Amino acid sequence: MREKFYIKIIRLILLSIFLIFSVFPLVWIFLTSIKPADEVYTFPVRYFPREPTLEAYRYLFSFANFGVYFKNSVMVSMTASIVSTYFALLSGYVLARKKFKFKKLLILALFFAQMIPSYLIMIPQYSMFSKLGLIDKLTGITIVYMGIGASFSTIMARGFFLRIPRSLEEAAMIDGCSEVSALFRITVPLMLPGISAVFSFSFVNTWNELFTAVLFLNSDRKMTVPVALYSFISKAGIKWNVLSAGLVVALLPTMLVFAFAQRFIIQGLTQGSVKEV
Amino acid sequence: MRLKRFLFIFSLMIPTLGLVGILSFYPTLKGIILSFQNYTVFTFNRIEFIGFDNYIEVFEDPVFPEIVKNTIFWILFSVLFQFLLGFSLALLMWKPFRGRGIYSGLVFYPWALSGFAIGLVWSWLLNGQFGVVNDLLMKLHIIRNNINFLSDPKKALFSVILVNVWYGIPFFAIMILAALQSIPRSLLESADIDGANSIAKLFKIVIPYIKPTIVNTILLRIIWVMNFPDIIYGMTRGGPADSTNILSVYMINIAYYESNFSKSSAVGVIILSILFIYTTFYLKITSKGEFEI
Repeated sequence: MREKFYIKIIRLILLSIFLIFSVFPLVWIFLTSIKPADEVYTFPVRYFPREPTLEAYRYLFSFANFGVYFKNSVMVSMTASIVSTYFALLSGYVLARKKFKFKKLLILALFFAQMIPSYLIMIPQYSMFSKLGLIDKLTGITIVYMGIGASFSTIMARGFFLRIPRSLEEAAMIDGCSEVSALFRITVPLMLPGISAVFSFSFVNTWNELFTAVLFLNSDRKMTVPVALYSFISKAGIKWNVLSAGLVVALLPTMLVFAFAQRFIIQGLTQGSVKEV
Repeated sequence: MRLKRFLFIFSLMIPTLGLVGILSFYPTLKGIILSFQNYTVFTFNRIEFIGFDNYIEVFEDPVFPEIVKNTIFWILFSVLFQFLLGFSLALLMWKPFRGRGIYSGLVFYPWALSGFAIGLVWSWLLNGQFGVVNDLLMKLHIIRNNINFLSDPKKALFSVILVNVWYGIPFFAIMILAALQSIPRSLLESADIDGANSIAKLFKIVIPYIKPTIVNTILLRIIWVMNFPDIIYGMTRGGPADSTNILSVYMINIAYYESNFSKSSAVGVIILSILFIYTTFYLKITSKGEFEI
């Protein structure tokens, strides 16, 4: 009994250490973001702001145009994720339910495609898109982002379909449902956890994407949040409380997505092959 | 009937295949072609083939050996410590405890964050003058003078790896925890009856049982870490004096600062070849086990 108690305490201490390490950076950035400018650069460090203020956030959204970048990011990531999730649903269904020639080859191709990181193909994509006049356009980057998750989303969607017994669809089809309506009426509702996992993955990846966006978007009104942060650090004289506020705004959406879809994301992550970019 | 079936499959597959074909495979091919040309911002209307010149330029770059060395260090130490700490965290979280759901949310969330933003956050935490890590180490009397984590070329690579470890622990913990939870209870109970202690159980039962997951996750993670310039970009952009420059960062720097898209593509092709060889090897290893795509 005594040994058990002692192990319990050690376990508690270790778990707390992990917790502190993972939460601390975020807490710290939040604290910095509500400090007035003159409390940011002090050493020894002042941990809690004496006069908490939203000054940095005000500056961010008025002078630094962050509202525009945020809106751009939301539009680009939402559109790209919704479209690629929908496409993944269709192709994932076929790859899970149908038998046809070259199916193995297709899955293998998708597997290879998901391993190509976005920064490796951004230059050829740039030269393609500049011919189409889609550089420095939100449409252009949205299309690129649809491609980023397409292969991985399909593989994941397929995994979720494989878990749903096909007998349900067959029963509906015997009752006179067409295959497509059986898919959307019977299977898709059962797939909602899977769909939210696929969507969350796409959203997180596109929301965080930096390198292609830096290359593609150069005018100020077109920047996404990561590009704006990138250009912040190049600008001389950017204050750390403002940058911290920017970071809080940049990190919050994916944290929220993770908080809501955590269970499904973990299911998706642990389902066989994963790129997780 | 056959035609109808084909059309059905085709029409559901084509959106994804179109996207992947046009936005992944075609650019990959095009990138290979670009790497043999002289496409820069200054020559974009008179692009010519120049053979292996870009590759030669890359291999003869005096910093190239250091970049390769940094890349190997970056992969090796990042993955090693991500695994060891992720494994420990998973073991600690294995037995249910009150609040485990919330706890896992709080320790796993870094997974969803932007690597670049995380790099920025940590560059502030590790700042040599005003950084909170220096402050804490001093208050705990571990150090006397500030450490220049990021501006000292001897410490910068260590610092970026540290942050990458922090960032990668959740991924390993998530994967390994899921594997641990799939171990049949009877297996562990029979070991208890045999009087095995915890250490023996860990090495004789737990590790052998989840070995496929461990191997799989490590092999996948190596690819991913190799192709992860985001954190370094947020912290040092490869500096100071190329001490944190790895292949992927090197490639992006050539594209952004030299605007030499062909030379940058050559580095890209080098990375891609490594990736391709590695992936083939990876599929060979894992398909022998219970890996299935």
